Amino acid sequence: MGTWEGLVTGLNFALQPGVLIFCLLGVLLGTFVGVLPGIGAMAAISLLLPITYYISAEAALIMLAGVYYGAQYGGAVASILMRLPGTPQSAVTALDGYPMARDGRAGAALFAAMVSSFAGSIIGIVVLVLLAGWLSRVAVAFGAADYAAMMVLGLVAASTIGSARPAKGFAMIVLGMLLGCIGTDVNSGAMRFTFGQTELLDGVNLVALAMGLFGVAEVIGNVRDPERQAVTEKIGFRQMAPTRDDLRRMVFPSLRGSGLGSFFGALPGTGSTLSSFLSYAMERRIARRPERFGHGAIEGVAGPEAANNSAAITAFVPTLTLGIPGDPIMALMLGALVIHGVQPGPMMLEARPEMFWGLVASFGIGNLLLLILNLPLIGVWVALLRIPFRWLYPAILIFICLGVYSVRGLTYDIVAVAGIGLAGYLLALARFNPALLLLGFVLGPLIETNLRRALLISRGDPMVFLERPISAAFVVAIAGLLLLSLVQWVRRRRRAIPAR
Amino acid sequence: MTTHIPRRAAFGCVLAFAAAPAFAQDAWPTGPLHVYVGFPAGSSPDTLARIITEPLAERLGQPVVIENRPGAGGVIGIQQMLANAGDDDLTFGTTINGPVTTAARMMGDTGFDVAADIAPVTLIATSPLVLAVSSQSGLEDLEGFVAAAGAEEEAIAYGSVGQGSGAHLTAELFADEAGVTMLHIPFTSYAEVTTSIMGGEIDAGFMAPSAAMPHVEGGNMRILGITSSEPSAQAPDVPVIAGQAGFAEDFRAELWNGFIAPSGTDAAVVERLTTEITEILADPGVQEQLLAIGWQAAPGTAQEMQERITADTQMWGGVIDRIEAQ
Repeated sequence: MGTWEGLVTGLNFALQPGVLIFCLLGVLLGTFVGVLPGIGAMAAISLLLPITYYISAEAALIMLAGVYYGAQYGGAVASILMRLPGTPQSAVTALDGYPMARDGRAGAALFAAMVSSFAGSIIGIVVLVLLAGWLSRVAVAFGAADYAAMMVLGLVAASTIGSARPAKGFAMIVLGMLLGCIGTDVNSGAMRFTFGQTELLDGVNLVALAMGLFGVAEVIGNVRDPERQAVTEKIGFRQMAPTRDDLRRMVFPSLRGSGLGSFFGALPGTGSTLSSFLSYAMERRIARRPERFGHGAIEGVAGPEAANNSAAITAFVPTLTLGIPGDPIMALMLGALVIHGVQPGPMMLEARPEMFWGLVASFGIGNLLLLILNLPLIGVWVALLRIPFRWLYPAILIFICLGVYSVRGLTYDIVAVAGIGLAGYLLALARFNPALLLLGFVLGPLIETNLRRALLISRGDPMVFLERPISAAFVVAIAGLLLLSLVQWVRRRRRAIPAR
Repeated sequence: MTTHIPRRAAFGCVLAFAAAPAFAQDAWPTGPLHVYVGFPAGSSPDTLARIITEPLAERLGQPVVIENRPGAGGVIGIQQMLANAGDDDLTFGTTINGPVTTAARMMGDTGFDVAADIAPVTLIATSPLVLAVSSQSGLEDLEGFVAAAGAEEEAIAYGSVGQGSGAHLTAELFADEAGVTMLHIPFTSYAEVTTSIMGGEIDAGFMAPSAAMPHVEGGNMRILGITSSEPSAQAPDVPVIAGQAGFAEDFRAELWNGFIAPSGTDAAVVERLTTEITEILADPGVQEQLLAIGWQAAPGTAQEMQERITADTQMWGGVIDRIEAQ
């Protein structure tokens, strides 16, 4: 089936009322769980599983996929309004989205997030349609050495994010990586730093860490100021809408973010997180005035949001072309198909072309629905900020508890989020950036696992990182980036000396 | 993973089947049953539990609520079952073999003692593993594979879904029986193992048939043998390893899934459940549903499950001893 013919077939399929309604249901629920931080796509998908038993396999996949990418839209809301990210990629959005909201520009920040999310998704869909075959070959060609080198590049590139002092950023990344060591060691099965607690065997709960460092810490930080409101006056459409300057600043970051997201999304693992951080780091590096970042730069919202949404679309590449799920959520979605007698695998799409094209068409329809759904909601969200903090914060804490509990159903994690929140408050007092801690926490264990796996496979020969072309390219990029930073540092010192 | 939201959804779903209280004259069950599953909603062990508990709810005239408590390879599910058990005999669990056979060896302390704390109800199903290689490789059959693996130490690198996982222990048992040593590369999911085999990074892997078969049909993988004693209905053309390439006739390594109760549970309740689940598993429709997700129905008595736990604990314990001695 040709691309054009396929798209027409897909649209015909996805626009049937009996299918469209499940697409709508999926994106609605996706938005909903995205807005409630911590309650991720995984919880929503398990909620929808019983429904999937009664509808066709195609409609089920379209609905579950709607939750998956719909959650990416909603995730921005709580991060921008209340600095309450449930995922590391939303934490990136909070870096500049939340300062914008505190300046009374929450409307513009949300608008930027929604529109770049939409742009990112559309670009992701185009990439998926045109390059799926190529991307899937890249994904299979990526070995452990390549992943390790790529993630080190990600860490190096992102380490300059949001901190005036590089040493402080570095410290946060290292702390994150150390926290990432907690749990069962994949290679030896040894338990590291678990102190006999089985709850820690799979590591620290990521949702608890994100919400503790950001949400709980923010609540503690504002306790001194109970009467404060983020927005005191009624907000009209004018204050809500982005300015012409905002729009101009959004265009290129969105496009660059979409490019990063489309590529990294197709690689199983951490495409979404990595591309959000890389997009942010890139925008900051090429900005004419990088010091604006962290204080409400709209580029810092637009780029990463475009990146994580296009990544959420191209994340379907390995699933759709190879029948291999790229992440645990995708595996659950495929598991739902088995009940219908559809065996996930490379033959699934040859046997059922309407599944591939129907799903692709539903991505377009679903994202349009999300945009239509979310733009009018901006006014509602912004109005929330008129509630005084003393009323808002108890509610936020309850939502944090719900979100954290929803991951595993263990009260242990609620206690953990409280402790992490306190630590997060201390870090905030000392002006450390918790986003980098999250990045280190997510990438650290993956770097370790892939590094050790690569060395195991090469029977201990470190040259594997230079012999594999993909890995070698990343190593060169890392060296280049470090050299660039060194040159910039030397130049700054030279300039500084005569001034003394 | 679950919240009370999906729990409520499952509740509503099961209620529909629980309209007729067929056993209202009996005192038990006095309320909804809670079945703890140590894996997330939508995973294979979770789907298995749902396939069994749907007709169970109908038969008992009470809803059965699935409580997903994923973590530590299924150990957290059992811990939570034990922690939440009341004296009303309404709390149960399903578990794969790992948490009740090898977990104590691997983890040191699981927080429970299998012999003292857990009452087996019945086995539900078993799943063999298949030995998969890339279709690009020169490994054509089991004889050739063993010969290649024996050419030098660690000539073959294989992937598993983790240190101490069923796939890892099965591969080590296989290597020991064949008199070879292979290089173990731990991954975390069959998806990763599949990608790595297809990318040519590793040579082989012991995998669930349901994870490997689609890639055989797609032309990317080849399967050299299966660890069950009989050919599996899922992969009827795959030869059993037993009796081939120098393997003993009784070579068998299977994962299984069983229904368990806290050990204080009334013996009559356990017996009732054994009977009901055995009857449910006799239904060809249920067997077919299980087969679709990779499980072969294998009901039996509580005593038989107890024997299986003891035998497997001993067999895998021996394999772990040899791994640790290396």
